[in-house]
Amino acid sequence: MTDDINDRFDDLLREAVRAHNRPPDRQDMPLDEMWRTIEAQTFPRANRTTRHAWMGIAAALVIGVGIGRLSWYSRPGHSPAADAVAVARADSSQRPTSAIEAATQPLDPTTSRYLGQAAALLIALPAEANVSTPDQSFTRRANELLLTTRLLLDSQSGSDPAMRNLLEDLELVLVQVVRLEKERSPSRRTELELIQQALDQRDVIPRLRNAASEYASDD
Amino acid sequence: MIGSGTSERFARTAHLIPSSTVTRTAFALQTTPQVNEPELIARVLAGDRLAGRELYDAHAPRVFRLAYRLTGDAELAREFTQDTFVRAFQRLADFRGEAAFSTWIHRITVTVVANAMRKVRRLRERETDLDDLDAVRPAHSSANRLDPDLRDRLANAIDALPDIYRITLIMHDMEGYTHTEIAEVLGVAEGTCKSRLSAARAQLRSALADFATEYES
Repeated sequence: MTDDINDRFDDLLREAVRAHNRPPDRQDMPLDEMWRTIEAQTFPRANRTTRHAWMGIAAALVIGVGIGRLSWYSRPGHSPAADAVAVARADSSQRPTSAIEAATQPLDPTTSRYLGQAAALLIALPAEANVSTPDQSFTRRANELLLTTRLLLDSQSGSDPAMRNLLEDLELVLVQVVRLEKERSPSRRTELELIQQALDQRDVIPRLRNAASEYASDD
Repeated sequence: MIGSGTSERFARTAHLIPSSTVTRTAFALQTTPQVNEPELIARVLAGDRLAGRELYDAHAPRVFRLAYRLTGDAELAREFTQDTFVRAFQRLADFRGEAAFSTWIHRITVTVVANAMRKVRRLRERETDLDDLDAVRPAHSSANRLDPDLRDRLANAIDALPDIYRITLIMHDMEGYTHTEIAEVLGVAEGTCKSRLSAARAQLRSALADFATEYES
């Protein structure tokens, strides 16, 4: 066999090797499904209440309180942004230095990291419904993310319409998550269910994931 | 179980992890957003499941890819990825930060997959014939565009390689790990890794030698 044929055969072999057992693309990997199993075995607190019990309670409460909230939000002169501003004022004195520093670093790695953290927090949200007292670290994390969201809204990232849209949705969700600390069971569960509905309706988590992977691939 | 007092110890020693470790991790995992892993690990040890999810998001895709390449089966890859992370989280207190976290978790992946696949192979040998094996092989790869005979024979030749050669070949030629990374994951010298790769390729060429003759004609 000549060297040329040898090289061509080696090329063919290399191509065949690369194609062997080719895994699916990231978006087709069962990442959430696997995490649920891992979380259940590693962080058992998230499963203290059964899914059926949670769904039953939530369904009953959502119908009643959801109607009430709809009428509250539809009253003349009410702006959902007012809630966000109010919380921003309340929190401005306690902004953690790390959040401010993070926002002043080069944008893409920070944004990518922030988006990943926000997605992780929102994915873990249903598990919060299973605990009677708020998880302090969860709320603190939500608060930090809310501050970063607002810094990003005022930054270069906020000038991109799609990103701005996502950040605004996220801001409203995070405001509600931060407010959960003051809620007591069962109204806390109701609030959580409403947040979950908002997340589902506006596809916040899939949009976050897409944005995070876009920023990560830009790095 | 996460949440022991070891988190405090890790948090105290986290700053001792050289910054080059974190840089190397970011380099090794090209699709991974930059995260402060020592801090994340300390939070996981304190029982923070959000930190656990972040750590998982940073490493799971590459772990799953490797498990898939090694098994060729989506269900097994899923199961082994889960096992890898469950073990990693359970043993996180033992992670001292001397190697990159990515190295550590890939080492667990290789161990989990290699051990489990021995059992799977034994079962398959007993319960299925070769036709059934072909049926479970994934059908969406671009290998389908290659000569079907070459594809099947290559798959058989790769499966027939000794584990140490097969893992090295898969990590290097299929998943793009460097020799340095593979050597760290497998705990061998870089030279050993290179010679294993060379031997694996030679065995494949030899197994397909008659195909090469056909190719020539």
